[in-house]
Amino acid sequence: MQSILSRDFVGGIAAIIIGTFYLSLAYDLRTSALDDIFGPGGMPRVYGWAMVLLGVTLCIVTVVSRWGKDTPGEWKGQGRRIAWAAGLLGIGIGYLLIVKSLGYLISMVLLIAATMIFQGERFSMRVLATALFGGALLWALFVFVLGVSMPPGLLTYLGL
Amino acid sequence: MINSMLKMAGVALVLSTAGTANAQQYPVDTVTLITHSSPGGGSDVFLRELSGYLAPILGVNVVVENVRGGSGAAAMADMAQAPADGSRFYATTPTFIYTSLLSNPEYTYEDLEPLVNFFIDPEVIYTATDSPYQTLDDVIDAARAGRGVWGAANPASLERQALEQLKAVTGVEAGIVSHEGGGDLMINVLNGTLDIGVGEVQELQGQLEAGEIRLLATFSDARLDLFPDLPTVQELGYDVVVRKFRGLAGPQGIPDDVVAAWEAAVQQVLASPEYRAVYEPNNLRAAFIPHDEYVEFIDNFATETATFLRETGVIE
Amino acid sequence: MDTILISAGYLLDYQIVLAALIGVTWGIIGGALPGISPSITMALLLPFTYTMEPTAAIVLLAATYVGAEYGGSVPAILIRTPGTNAAAATVLDGYEMNKQGKAGLALGISLYSGVLGSLFGLTMLVLLSKPLAAVALSFTPPAYFALGILGLSVIATLSGDSLIKGMIAAVLGLMVATIGTDPVTGGTRFTMGSSDLLGGIAPVMVMVGLFAMSELLAQASDRGPSERVKSRPRIEFPSLSLAKRLLRPQSIGGVIGTFEGVMPGAGGTIASFMSYNEARRWSKYPDEFGKGSPEGVAAPETANNAVAETALVPLLSFGIPGSNSTAILLGGFLIHGIVPGPMLFQRSGEIVYGLYAGLFTAAIGLLFIGMALLPLCIWIVNRPRAYLNAFIFALILSGIYSIHNSLFDLSIMLAAGVVGFLMRMLKFPFLPTVLGLVLGYLVESSFRRSLVISGDDYAIFLNDRISLALLCVSALFILGSIGKRIWDRIRHNEQKTFSEGTDG
Repeated sequence: MQSILSRDFVGGIAAIIIGTFYLSLAYDLRTSALDDIFGPGGMPRVYGWAMVLLGVTLCIVTVVSRWGKDTPGEWKGQGRRIAWAAGLLGIGIGYLLIVKSLGYLISMVLLIAATMIFQGERFSMRVLATALFGGALLWALFVFVLGVSMPPGLLTYLGL
Repeated sequence: MINSMLKMAGVALVLSTAGTANAQQYPVDTVTLITHSSPGGGSDVFLRELSGYLAPILGVNVVVENVRGGSGAAAMADMAQAPADGSRFYATTPTFIYTSLLSNPEYTYEDLEPLVNFFIDPEVIYTATDSPYQTLDDVIDAARAGRGVWGAANPASLERQALEQLKAVTGVEAGIVSHEGGGDLMINVLNGTLDIGVGEVQELQGQLEAGEIRLLATFSDARLDLFPDLPTVQELGYDVVVRKFRGLAGPQGIPDDVVAAWEAAVQQVLASPEYRAVYEPNNLRAAFIPHDEYVEFIDNFATETATFLRETGVIE
Repeated sequence: MDTILISAGYLLDYQIVLAALIGVTWGIIGGALPGISPSITMALLLPFTYTMEPTAAIVLLAATYVGAEYGGSVPAILIRTPGTNAAAATVLDGYEMNKQGKAGLALGISLYSGVLGSLFGLTMLVLLSKPLAAVALSFTPPAYFALGILGLSVIATLSGDSLIKGMIAAVLGLMVATIGTDPVTGGTRFTMGSSDLLGGIAPVMVMVGLFAMSELLAQASDRGPSERVKSRPRIEFPSLSLAKRLLRPQSIGGVIGTFEGVMPGAGGTIASFMSYNEARRWSKYPDEFGKGSPEGVAAPETANNAVAETALVPLLSFGIPGSNSTAILLGGFLIHGIVPGPMLFQRSGEIVYGLYAGLFTAAIGLLFIGMALLPLCIWIVNRPRAYLNAFIFALILSGIYSIHNSLFDLSIMLAAGVVGFLMRMLKFPFLPTVLGLVLGYLVESSFRRSLVISGDDYAIFLNDRISLALLCVSALFILGSIGKRIWDRIRHNEQKTFSEGTDG
C-alpha cells in the first residue's frame, strides 16, 4: 500500500476530488434566456471533466510506472513539515482575527515579532525593536504615503 | 480585466465659501459623495465636476470617495450603514439596481432611500460610418432577412435590456453580444463585427467627432437637443424607451430639512450657467426629479428590471 | 521625423521632465510592493493631477506606469513574489539567479532590459502608431480566443517533468478564473453566495499566495540551518559578451511586447510569458532556462516594459483603454477635458508630443533612479532569514489588504498559499495555474462571444484569418513540445524540472 501512495498518486486523487466537486457545482448553475449555446456552465463542465480525466490518467500512469517498486522515505518527515507550516499559517490567521479590534499598527508589530520568534529567533530587545520599527515603517508607508485606510482599532481612542 | 477592482479614497476637497445663497443652515459641514466607479470612471468624473459647483450652493465641503467592489455591492453596504444625517450619499446609476437583483448582496437598493435625480443620460444606437446601415430600419430589415449581430457594453445591463426589448418588439433574429465595457464594444463596431452598438453619447464623443461612427437612433423619450435630427426609437415605431438615471441615494430615513436643502440646491446647480456650460456639451440631460417622485421612480425602475430579468430567466 | 523633432523640443520643459522623474520613482516603489498594482499606484496620484498643467499631469501618470512595470521585477527576483502580474515570468530565472548570489546581476539585467523595452516600445508608439492601431482594430473576438489559446500553449514549457501535472495545474487556474460574474449573461457563478466573490478572484492575490506565501510556509517548515548565498549589495551590469547574448531575448521580448500591448485586454502578463517561452525556444542555451538563465530575465522584462508604451496606442488612437492602468490614464485625460481618440492629434497635438518627450525622459530616468534604489533593496534581502521573512509576511498582508480594504482578500491569499505549499509538496508546478487564471477569462469570454456572433457556428474560428493563423501556430507549438518530450523520453534524456518542489 505504501508504494502506491506516491506523491503523484495523491496528486491525481486530489485532482479527481477537486474536479468532481467543481462539476457538481457546474451542473447546478442556473440557465437563463440570456444564455448563449455554451451557457455559463459550458466551460466549467469542460474544465471539470478535464480535471477528472487528467487526475485519473495521472493515477494510472503512476501505478503502472511504479508497480512493484518500493519508494521508502517518500513521505518521511512530511508530517513535521506540515505542522511547522501550519504554525506560520496560524500566525497569519491570528493576524486576521485581531486586526479589526487591535488595529493595523499594533497587529503588525505583534505579527512581525511572532513570525521572527517562530522562525527561531530568541526573544530579545533586538526582536522587539525590529518589530516596533517594522510596524511603524509599514504603517507610515501604507497609511500616510499610500493613503490606504487600514483598520485603526485601538488607535481610534488615541485620536490617531 | 477592466473590471478587476481597486479601492482608493480619492480626495477632492472643495472648500466652501461662507454666506451662500442658501438661507437655511445645512446640518453638517462636510458631505461625502461615494461612487462605486474607479477614479477617472464615468460616475467619478461626473461627481468631481459636480462637487465644485454644488459646494458653495449647499454651503458645505463636498468630498468624493471611491468605494469599489462588487459592482456597487460594497458601496450599498457602506451607505446602508451610514448615519442618516445628510453627511453621506451614494451616486447611483442603474448599476445598483442590477447588482441588487443579480447578485443578492447583503444590502440592496431596498435598504437605501433615493434622494433626488440629477440627469438622464441618453442611450443611442450607433454603427460604423462605413457600414451599409443608414437608419435603424435598415438594421431591423437586415436582421429580419438574415440574422443581426448587436452589441451591448456589459452582460446584464440597461443596454443589454434595451436591445433584448428591441429584439422582442421587432421579432427579428439577432445575436446580442455583451462586452467588457464600452471600449471593447466600440472596437467591434468599428471593425464591422457588429451591426450596431448601444452606448451613452459622451462615451462616443471622440469617434463621433472624427466621423468614424454614425448615430441611428436614441432610446430616450424625446429627441436630443444636440442632435435634433436623430429620431427616437419610439417614433420609429418600436416601443422601447430607456432611462439611464444619475442621482443620489442615502440611508433610510433622511431628515426632511436635508431633503429640502438638496431639492433646492440641485435645481439651483442645474440651472447655473457655469455648470450648464460644463454638462451640456457632454450631452448630459438635466432631469431633476424631486424626492417623493424619485422614490417612486426608482421603485418602478427596479420592478420593471426585475420583471425583465425574471422573464428572461436570469434570476428566479 | 517631424514628430520626433517637435517632441524633442519638449525635453527642455522642466515641468515635463520633473513630472516624468517623479512618476518613475513613485512607480518603481508602487510596483515593487506586492499587491499594489500599476493601476493602484497611478490611481493614488490621480487626485494630485487635477490642479496640474494637463501635459505634466498625463506625463506623471504615464511615467508611473513605466516605473511600476519595471518595479514589479524587483520583488520577483529578490523575494520570489512578482510585484505586478506581468513580472510573474521573471520569478522563474530571476529568483534562481538570486539564490546563486547573483541578485545584483539579475536586477541589473532586468533594469537595462526594462529601459531597452521602454525605448523600443516608445519608438514603435511614435513611428508606427497608425499601423499598430490597425492591428488592434483587426482583432475580432475569434482572434482573441485564438490569442488566448496561443498563450495557453506555453503551459507545455512551464510544466517541468510531467505534462499531466502541468495541465492539472493549468485547469485549476482556469477553474478559479470562472468564479464571479459570468461574462455573457451577467449571472453569478461559484460564489457560494458570497458578495466578496462577485468580482472574481484577482490574479494578484493568487499569485502572491502561490509564490510568496507558499515560500514562507515552505521555509517555516524547513527547520534546518539555512544555507543562503548572500548577494553583494550592488547592482551589476552584464559583461559585453553576455550583453550580446541578451540581445536576442530582448529583441524577442520587445517585438512580442509591442504587439501584445496594442491589443486591448491582452496585456503584459501574456506578453512576458510568451516572450519567456520564445526566448527559450530560440536560445542557444535552452537548458539553462529555469536554472538562473540571464536570458530568462531579459526577455519578459523587455516585454512588459514595451507593453507599457504600446498600450497607449489604442488609448490615443481610439480613446479605448486596454487595461486598468490605461483606464486611469484615460481618467487623467478626461479630468482635464481632453478626449483621447481620432481627433486628439489634431486638437491637442501638444499634449501628445509632450507625452512622448515625457515617456522618453521616464525611460532614461528609470535607469538612474533604478540604480539608486536597488542597493537598498539588496541590503534588505540580505538580512537574516527570520527578519526577512517577518518583513515579507507583514508586507504581503498589508499589500493585499490595500487592494479592496478587505480581510476576505487576505484569507484568499492565505488559502492560495496553502494550495501552493501542497502543490510544492506533491511536486506540481504552479506557473501553469497562474497562466490559466490570467487567460481563463479571455479564453472563455471571447469563445462564447464568437459563437453568439456567428449564430453558434464553430466555423467562425476558421473563417477569421487571424484566428486561423494563430490557432495553427498554437497547434504547431503544442505538437512540437509533445514531440520533443517523446523524443527526449526515447533518448532517455533527463528532463530538466521547472517544478517548484521542496527538497526532501
